[in-house]
Amino acid sequence: MNAPLQTLTEMQRLSSPFPESVTVKDWQATGRKVIGWFNPYIPEEIIHAAGMLPFEVTGDNEPVQMQGAEAHMHSNSCSKIRTCWQMQLDGKYNFLDGLVSSHMCDQDMRLFEVWSYYKKLPYMDSLYAPRKRDEVAVKLYLTDLEGFRSRLSQFLICRVPDQHIENSIQVYNRGRELMHQLYELRKRDRPPVTGAEALEVSKASARMPRERFNELMEQLLAEIQRTGREIKKARRLMIIGNDLHNTTQVAALESADAVVVADEMDLGIRRAWGQVDTKLPPLEALARYYVLGRPVDKHTWDSDERLAFIGELAEQYQVDGIVSENVRFCTYLGWDKFDLKKQMQERGIPILELDLEYGHPGGAQMRIRAEAFLEMLESRAG
Amino acid sequence: MNNDKLVSIEEIIEGLKKAKEGVKKQPGLMKSTVGYLDAVSTYVERIATAKQDGKWVASHGTQQPLEILEAMDVRGVFNEFWGVVSDIVRLESVPAALSVSASTGTPAEVCSFFRNMDGLMHAGKWPRSDFFLYATSCCDNVKSFHTLGRRYGIPSFGLERSYFPYTAHAMEHWKNEYKRLIAFLEEQTGKKLDYDRLKETVRLSYRLTELHLEIDKLVSHVPCPLSPECFSGTLVAIRLLPGTQKGIDFLTELRDELQERVNAGIGAVRDERFRVMWSSFTPFFHPTLMSFMQQKYGAVSVADMLSHWRGQAKWMLDPDDPLGNLAYRTVVAPGNCQYSSGVDVGAVLSDKAYRFKVDAAIFNNNFGCKTGAGYGPVIKDELMRLVKVPTLTLDCDVLDHTFISRADVESQMDSFFEMIEGSKAYQERRALV
Repeated sequence: MNAPLQTLTEMQRLSSPFPESVTVKDWQATGRKVIGWFNPYIPEEIIHAAGMLPFEVTGDNEPVQMQGAEAHMHSNSCSKIRTCWQMQLDGKYNFLDGLVSSHMCDQDMRLFEVWSYYKKLPYMDSLYAPRKRDEVAVKLYLTDLEGFRSRLSQFLICRVPDQHIENSIQVYNRGRELMHQLYELRKRDRPPVTGAEALEVSKASARMPRERFNELMEQLLAEIQRTGREIKKARRLMIIGNDLHNTTQVAALESADAVVVADEMDLGIRRAWGQVDTKLPPLEALARYYVLGRPVDKHTWDSDERLAFIGELAEQYQVDGIVSENVRFCTYLGWDKFDLKKQMQERGIPILELDLEYGHPGGAQMRIRAEAFLEMLESRAG
Repeated sequence: MNNDKLVSIEEIIEGLKKAKEGVKKQPGLMKSTVGYLDAVSTYVERIATAKQDGKWVASHGTQQPLEILEAMDVRGVFNEFWGVVSDIVRLESVPAALSVSASTGTPAEVCSFFRNMDGLMHAGKWPRSDFFLYATSCCDNVKSFHTLGRRYGIPSFGLERSYFPYTAHAMEHWKNEYKRLIAFLEEQTGKKLDYDRLKETVRLSYRLTELHLEIDKLVSHVPCPLSPECFSGTLVAIRLLPGTQKGIDFLTELRDELQERVNAGIGAVRDERFRVMWSSFTPFFHPTLMSFMQQKYGAVSVADMLSHWRGQAKWMLDPDDPLGNLAYRTVVAPGNCQYSSGVDVGAVLSDKAYRFKVDAAIFNNNFGCKTGAGYGPVIKDELMRLVKVPTLTLDCDVLDHTFISRADVESQMDSFFEMIEGSKAYQERRALV
C-alpha cells in the first residue's frame, strides 16, 4: 500500500472547498480578479498575462442535484453544461468576475449565452474554435485572440502587453513540461500514480495560479522519485472521451485490479502536450499552438488524426484496454464511435464503452462493467 | 436487418407524384398546393436524373451557397429535407433508418436528421452522391459529413465560418472559404466555374428573396391568407431552390394567390382566434396537425422561426461581386441565423411575432437538437418579455413518430390554447385587431 502523496494532498487542500477554494479567496483578498473559462480553446496565458486568475468552470467530485437548471436549458442538453449552470444557480460561482467561452461545441456556447442572459458578469467574452487544422484556421483564430486581448485590456483599462504574454507563455510551457514528465513516468511497468491521482493533478492545474502549480509539480515529481512509489496492478487502462471531473469514476475503474496509465481528455493530455513557440510573436504563437500544436480533439471535423493518436498512445503506454466514456448528448464523440471501434479492433485493442451522465459518482454499475471488462482482458491474456 | 421499410428516391418520386394527383382532386385547398408539390418533386427528380443529365450531386447541410452549386452543375441533397420527405412519403422509413444507424453504434442522442442519413447510407438507400459539403453552424452534427465521407469513400469539403459574422475580417474569411469551395468543386468535376453564370444564379436568388419578403407581408394580414398545405412553401423555395427559375415561378404563383385572397378577405379559417408561430413546422410526421388546430381551436399557423431574414435582407451589395453578395446572404438567410446567440434569435423572432401579430408560439424541443435544447428557454423568455407571447414547448423528435403520440400532443395543445385565451396579453392584443 503506497502512502498518499503529500504534494497532491497540498494541491487538493489549495483547491478546496470547490470551487471557491482557499486559493481563490486568498487571490481575491488582494483585489485581483478571477476569470472563468469553459473549454480548451481559451488561452489561459492571456488571462494570466492580464494579472487575473484563469479558473476552469466545471463540476467536481460531488454530484450536483438539478433543481432549476433545466428551466433554462432543456434536459436533452449535455449534463456537463447543466451541472455548471446548476452550480451557478446554487451560488457556487458567484466569485467569478468574468467568463470566457469558445464555440468549440454549440452546447458550451449555449451555456455561455444562458449565463449572459440570466446572470451577466462584468466581463463576458467568447472566441471561435476552428474545426480545421490549417493556416487559414490559424489566421481566423488569431484574429479572435487579438480581439480578446483588446476587450480584456478595455475591461482592465490597461493594455495587456506582448511582454506579459511572453512571460505567461513561459510559465505555462513550464507547467506543460512538468505535467508531461508525469505522463512519461506513467509509462513505467509500475506507474507511480493512479489514474485518479493523476486526474486530481490535472484538475488542480486549472484551479490555481500557474506559478504555484508549477512549484507543486516540481515537488510532486521529486516526491515520486524520493519515495520510489509504485502502483502494482495487473491491467493497464487508458480513458478517452469527454472530460471527467468526478474522480470517483476513475477510482471505480481502478477499484479492480487495474490502473489508468493514460488518457485522451482535454483536461489531461491536452494540458500536457506540446509547447508554445517562444520565438514567434506571442499571439501568433498561441494561435499556432491552440490550433495546430496539441493532439487533435473531438471537435475537429477530420478525426482521423484523433483516432490515430489514440491508437498510438495506447501502444506507447502498453495498455490492455481502452475505456471510452461519452457524456450523453455529446454529438462529436457520437460520430466518432463507429470508426473508433473499427480502428481499435484493427489494432487489437479492446474497448469498453461507457455512456455516462457527467458528474455522477462511480457507483456499482461502473464497477461491475469494469470488472467484466477486466475479466475479458484476463481471458485474452490467458 | 430487413431494410424493406426504408424509402428509396424512386419511391419518394412516386409518392410525391401521387400526392400531387391527390391534391388536384381535393376541394378547398389553395391552388398553389400543386405548385408547391411540383417544386418539391422537381427538386427530388433533379437529384435522381443528375447523372443522366451530366450533373453532379452533393449531399449537404445548412449554410451552403446553393447558387454556386447551381452554377457549377451540382445538384444538392439537403439532408434535413430528406428526413422530412421520407416521413411524408413513408412514415415507417425514418424509425427503420434510425434502427440501422443505431446498429452502427451511432448513439440515439444524436440528431435524427443525421441518424436518418446515416441509416440510409449504411443500407445503400441514400441518393447517390459525388461529394459531401458542410459548414460550421450551430449544429455540431455537420462533423458527420466528414465522418461518413471517409467511411464511404466520398470526398467532402467543410466551410469554416466565424461565430461573429459581421466583422470585415469574418466576411472576408467567409468569402475566401467560398473560393476554396469553388476550387474543390472544380477539382472534383474538372470544370471551371463560369462567373457570368454565377452572377445569373445570384440574381435569381435575390429575386427569390424579394418574393419571400412580399409573401411575408401578405401572410401577416388578418385574417391570415395562408393555409396549412402551403405553410412551408417559402422555406422550401428559399432553402432548396435558390438560384433557379423554378423557385421563382413557384413563389410568384404563391404570392399572386395570396394577394387574391387578401383582396377577397379570404382567410385560412373563417374564425381566426389564435395566430401561431412554430419553431419550424409541426413534427413532420403529423402534417395534419395544423388543420386540426384550425378546426379545433381556430388557431392558424402564420409563421415559423426558421424562415426569417435577419434585418433588411438587402444582400445584393454589388452585382459584379457574386461571392461577396453570397457571403453576406449566408449570414442573413433563413435557417442560418440560428448560428447566433439565443438572445439575438429571440429578439429577431419577437420582432417577427409582432409583425405577424402572433398570439402563441410552439417550440419543438427536438430530442437530438442540442441547439434547441440550449436556446429554447431563452427564446421563450424573450418572446414573453418583449411581445408577451407564450410558448408551448413540445418535447418530441420531429422525425420519429414513435417518440411522442399524437394524443399527447393534442392534449398539451388543449391546455395551452385554453391558457392563452384566458391571458390578459391575448385579450389586449385581440382588442386591437
